[in-house]
Amino acid sequence: MALLCACGIFAQAQTGSIRGTILDKTGEPAIGLMVKIQDLALGAATNHAGAFVIENVTAGKHILLVTGIGFQSLQHTIHIETGKEAVVSLTVESSSTELEEVMVVGRSEVQETNRQAYNVTAVDAKQLYNTTLDLAGALDRVAGVRVRESGGVGSSFNLSLNGFSGNHVRFFIDGIPMDGFGSSFQINNIPINSADRIEVYKGVVPISLASDALGGAINIITNDRYRNYVDVSYSYGSFNTHRSVINAAATSERGLQVQLSAYQNYSDNDYKVKVDAADIWTGAYTPGAWVRRFHDVYHNEALIAQVGVVKKKYADKLLLGITLGRNYKEIQTGARMVSVFGKWHRRGDVVTPTFKYRKQDLIKGLDVTLNANYNLGSEQNIDTMNVRYDWYGNSKPNGTSGERSRSLYKYKNNTGVATAMASYRINDRQSIAMSDVFNTFNRKGSDVLNPDATNPPSKTQKNVLGLSYAYSKEDAFGITLISKFITQKNVVAAQEARATTDKIGYGIVGTYFFSTSLQVKASYELTNRMPEAQEIFGDVENFEGNPSLLPEQSDNINVGLAYTFAADANNKFLLNANGVYRYSRNFIYNRLNNNQSKLIPDNREGVRTYGGDAELRYSHKRLISAGVTMTYQYLQNMQKIEPGYTGVSPVYLDQMPNIPYLFGNADVSVSLRDLGAKGNNMSIGYNMLYVHAFYLYWPSRGSDKLDIPEQLSHDVNIVYSLKQGRYNVGLEARNVTDALLYDNFSLQKPGRGFYVNVRAFFHKTSNN
Amino acid sequence: MNIKTTLAALFVAVTFAVSCSDDDNAPANPGNFILAVTPAASTGVADYLLTASSLDTGSVSTAENGVEQDGTYRYYVTHNNKFFSMLYGQGNPGAVTAYDIQAGALNKLTNFQTETVQSFAPVNNDLLLVKIARNLATPTSSWYKVSTESLTITSEGTMNTLDITGDLGELAHFTWIKQVGDKVYAPYQTIKDRSFNTDYPDQAWIAVFNYADMSLDKVIEDNRTSFIGRYFMDGLSIAENGDIYAFSPSAATTGGALSSTKHSAITRIKSGTTEFDEYYFDVEDASGGNNITSWLYVGNNNYIVHSQAKSERTSFPSGRRVAVVNVINKTYDIVSGLPAFDDIASLTTNNYTPKDGRTGYIGVNLKDGTGYVYKIDVTTKTATQGLKVDGGTLTAIQHLD
Repeated sequence: MALLCACGIFAQAQTGSIRGTILDKTGEPAIGLMVKIQDLALGAATNHAGAFVIENVTAGKHILLVTGIGFQSLQHTIHIETGKEAVVSLTVESSSTELEEVMVVGRSEVQETNRQAYNVTAVDAKQLYNTTLDLAGALDRVAGVRVRESGGVGSSFNLSLNGFSGNHVRFFIDGIPMDGFGSSFQINNIPINSADRIEVYKGVVPISLASDALGGAINIITNDRYRNYVDVSYSYGSFNTHRSVINAAATSERGLQVQLSAYQNYSDNDYKVKVDAADIWTGAYTPGAWVRRFHDVYHNEALIAQVGVVKKKYADKLLLGITLGRNYKEIQTGARMVSVFGKWHRRGDVVTPTFKYRKQDLIKGLDVTLNANYNLGSEQNIDTMNVRYDWYGNSKPNGTSGERSRSLYKYKNNTGVATAMASYRINDRQSIAMSDVFNTFNRKGSDVLNPDATNPPSKTQKNVLGLSYAYSKEDAFGITLISKFITQKNVVAAQEARATTDKIGYGIVGTYFFSTSLQVKASYELTNRMPEAQEIFGDVENFEGNPSLLPEQSDNINVGLAYTFAADANNKFLLNANGVYRYSRNFIYNRLNNNQSKLIPDNREGVRTYGGDAELRYSHKRLISAGVTMTYQYLQNMQKIEPGYTGVSPVYLDQMPNIPYLFGNADVSVSLRDLGAKGNNMSIGYNMLYVHAFYLYWPSRGSDKLDIPEQLSHDVNIVYSLKQGRYNVGLEARNVTDALLYDNFSLQKPGRGFYVNVRAFFHKTSNN
Repeated sequence: MNIKTTLAALFVAVTFAVSCSDDDNAPANPGNFILAVTPAASTGVADYLLTASSLDTGSVSTAENGVEQDGTYRYYVTHNNKFFSMLYGQGNPGAVTAYDIQAGALNKLTNFQTETVQSFAPVNNDLLLVKIARNLATPTSSWYKVSTESLTITSEGTMNTLDITGDLGELAHFTWIKQVGDKVYAPYQTIKDRSFNTDYPDQAWIAVFNYADMSLDKVIEDNRTSFIGRYFMDGLSIAENGDIYAFSPSAATTGGALSSTKHSAITRIKSGTTEFDEYYFDVEDASGGNNITSWLYVGNNNYIVHSQAKSERTSFPSGRRVAVVNVINKTYDIVSGLPAFDDIASLTTNNYTPKDGRTGYIGVNLKDGTGYVYKIDVTTKTATQGLKVDGGTLTAIQHLD
C-alpha cells in the first residue's frame, strides 16, 4: 500500500485541521470510508470524491484510522500544527471482500442499500459476472421474486414480486424508467455484466424512482466504478446460444469521458418440448411427443455510446449518448403451445438519444439529476404465409389470412421519457426530495398489405410528480414520507379523447435498528398505477390491448426484519423475512382472450394478497456460502359481483388462477482460493429452483383440472479466475436433470443446457 | 441451532399449509345428462362439463366438481353417442375432446385437432366442419370431414364462397349446415365485410352441396324473408315426414344497423323438393311483433322457440322470451311458469329434447348467478323448474345413452 503525505499551512488558534483524499488502488475515490482520529472523538466520512475534512483537532501527533467496507483498514500517523491544515492523500487496498466478511465487518453498497428504510434487497451483480446469466436470471434468485419467461433467449417475460407482476412492478436503469426502451433492451436480454447491482424494492418505492409502480420496482445500477476499463466476455452454449458483451470507459485527466457498451445475444432456441403434437392432415394427436422447436431464432445487438464530462464543477456527470440496437425474433407459438407458427416473425430497431446529468451539492446539500431519452426505433410484425404449421414443421394451406393474421405492419411507438430529480439535505437528519417523470407514447404505423386499414390513434402520456421527506439517525432509525401525483391522458380508438385521469397516492416507511445486527422495517402506502401503453394498445403479437382498462389502486402494508448473527467466528448467518398485505382495487391481471390465442389485461374489482418471504444465508469462513429463500403469496379474488349478474360470484374469495404461489430457491457455493497459483480462485456453485404446482383456471371450480405441475430445476457452475479476476473461465450446466419447466399458461422452457463463458477484465490505475 | 430449527419448522409449516386439495374426480351427480357450465367470472375462463342423472330434479355445481375444459368459447355437439367439446380459437387450431359416458361419468376418449370453424354438423358418421371466409379479397372457405369412428380428419377441401352468390359481389356466409338426405343444406347470409353488413337484407338463400365431394348442387332462394338462422345458429329443422322448416329472425344489417324489411317468419321446403313452397308463417303477426332467434324441435310439428320483442331486436339476436310454435297450426304461444323476464340473464340454445312431441328442456340463467333447467310442456305451454345449477352459466344441455 502506497502512502503519501504532504503538508499545507494555514492560520488558526489552538487547534488545526485535516483535509484529505482517499483513493483506491485503481485511482478511484474511495467513498464512504470512516476516518477517525484515535483517542479523540473526531472523525468524518469520505464523500463521493473520496475527500474528507476534520476540524478542531488539537495540535500534536495523532493516528488516523481509516476503515470501510471492501477495504483493508489503515493507520496513518499525522502531525497537526496549531492553526494549520494538514493535507493527506491516502490509498487504500481493497480487501477481497467475501459476503460473509461483509456481513459482519461492514457494509458494501449492496448491504448499505439493504439498510435503507425501504424494503429493498440489493443483488450484487459483480458476483455473477462470470456466469451467462442475464438480469432476469439473477433476479429469479431473489426472495419474493419469480421471473416467468415464455421460452428461451429473447422470449417475453413477466416478473412477479410479492404477488404483484407484470406492470405492477416498474423497471429502471440508474433511476431512468425502462418503459419505452423497446424490445432490444429489456431485463432478459441485458447481460449481467452491464450492472453493478440490482435493487429490488418491495412495497414503497423511493421518490427517486418516480413512477406509478403498484407493488415495487427494480432499479439496475450500471457500473461506473472504474473510470478506465475494458470488460470483455463471450459465452457459447446449448441451442446454439452465443452472447458477447463489451463494456469500456476511458476518461481523460481533464474529465472527458467516453463510455461504450456493446452486446449481442443469439440463440436458435431449438430445445425439445413435450407436446401433444397433432398430425396436420388427420388432426390426430401423438400425446407426449418430443419435438424440437423449429422457429424460435432470436438475436439482438445493441451499442450504447456515451460521451461527456465527469467531475466538473457544474456536473459530476454530463453525458450525451445514443443507444442503437436491433432485434429479430421468430415466433414459435401463440399464447398456448397448441398454436404453432413457422414463419411469423418480428424485427425491430432502437435508436435512442439519451441525456444524463448529475450534480451533487449544486449548492451545498442540493443534488440534482436530469435524464431524458426518446426512442425513434421501429418494429415490424411480419406474417405473410397463408399456411398452418404443425409441431413437426409440416405446413398446409390455410386460407388467405396468414398464420395468425396476415401482416407487414410496421410501426413506431415514439416513446420518450424525461425525469428530473432534486434532493436537499436540510441537515444531518432531514432531507427532502422532489421528482418528476414524464412518459409519452404515440404509436403510428401502417401495413402495405392492408393499406386501407384505419389505424386508430394510440397515444398515451403520463406524468408522475413525487415529493418526499426523510428523517433519520444513522444506525438508529429512519422515517420517510412520500406522496405522488399521477396524471394520464389517453387518446384511444374512435372514442373521443378521454378525460385526463388524476390519482394521488401517499405512503410512509420506517425502519428501526434494535442493534447493528437487527433491523426492522415497516411501510404503508396507498399507491396508484395507470395502465401501460402496451396494456392499452397491445404488442401486436401475443399480447392484446385493452383500451377500456381502468387504473388500479392498492393499499400496501409491508413489514420486514433483517438479522445477522454468528454461531462462532467461522459460522455466520443472515436472515431476512418480509410479510406483505395488499388490497388492490381494479387489479390489473393478464388472462387469455376468449380464443385462447393471446393474453389480454383485465381488471378485477378487488384482489387481496397475503404473503411472506424469507431468506436465510449461511457462510463458513471464506469457503462455503449457502442460502435458501422461500416465498408464499396468496392472492384472493375479492370481486363479489360479476358484470351482468346480481348474485355472489362463484369465484368470490377464490385464489387467483395461473399465478405461482409457493416457490423458492437454494444455493451453495464453495470458493477455493489461490488454487494453482496465488491470485487464482475457483468457485463451484449449485442453484436449485422450486415452484409448487398451480392451477391454470380458478381453483375452486371443477374436479378434473388442468394444472402447471411442480417444477424443480438444478443448475451447477464452476468458475476459475486467474490473476485476481483479470481472466475468467466459467462452465455452467442449467436444468441438469432435464426437468420439464413451464411458464405462462404452460409454455415450456428449455431443458438441460451447457454453457461456457470466458471473460477478461482490465482497468487502468489512474495516477492522480 | 435453535433459530435453524425454528426456520426449518416454519418452512415445513408453510409448505403444508398450502399443499394441494384432494384429487377426487368422481362426479357429484353421476348420470347420462351432460351440462356445460361457464363460471360467471367474466371471460377467458374454463368451461366445466357436469353430469346429472335427471333434468327434472336435484342440483349440480361447479364447486370442486366437473371436467375442466381448456378455455371458453367452446361448442358442444353429440353424435354417434359421443359428446364433442370443440374450442373456437380464432387463428388457433381447434382442439376437440371427445367423451362418452361410463357409469354416469364422462370418460375421455381422445383429443384431436381440427380447424377453428364457423359451422359444424353431424353428417352420416362424420362431423362436417366448415371454415368460412369473411374477406372479399380472399373468398376461399374450407371444409373438413371428421370421422366419429376414427376421430381423425378423413378428407378436406375448399370452395369459393364468393362465387356461390353469383354476381351479388358478396360472400356467402353459412349460418349453419344440416344434412338432408345425401345432401348438405347450408343456409347463408351474404356479407360484404367483417362486420357482416350486406346490401341484400331482404332475401334468403340455401346452398345445397353433394356431401360426397362437397360440390355445389344448387342454391335455393326466397324473397319472402331475410336470411335463415343466424351466425352459429341452425335455422333449419326436418319434420318426421321429411318437410324442412326454416326460420328467419330478420336480423340482417346494412351499415351497422338492422335493415331487413321482411318479418321474422317460418317457411318450408316440402320433402323431396328443392324449392320453397307457398307455406309462410308470419311470426311477427302471430306474436305481436316477436321474432324467433333459436328453436328446438320437440317433434309432432311443435317447437320451443326463443324470441325477442320488437324493441329488443339486435343484429346477433339472443332472445330471452320462450314460446311454443306449432308450424301446422301456425300458432305462437308464450310459455308461462318461467322466471320474470327481467331476472333472466340468458337462455341456452344448445338444448335437449326426448323428441316425444311434447317436452323439451332449456337452461335459464338468472341475473343473480343461479341457473335452472326448465322443462317445457308444449301442450300446456308451461315451464316447470327442474335441475338447479350453481357456480356458473349453463351453455349446453346434452344427453348420451
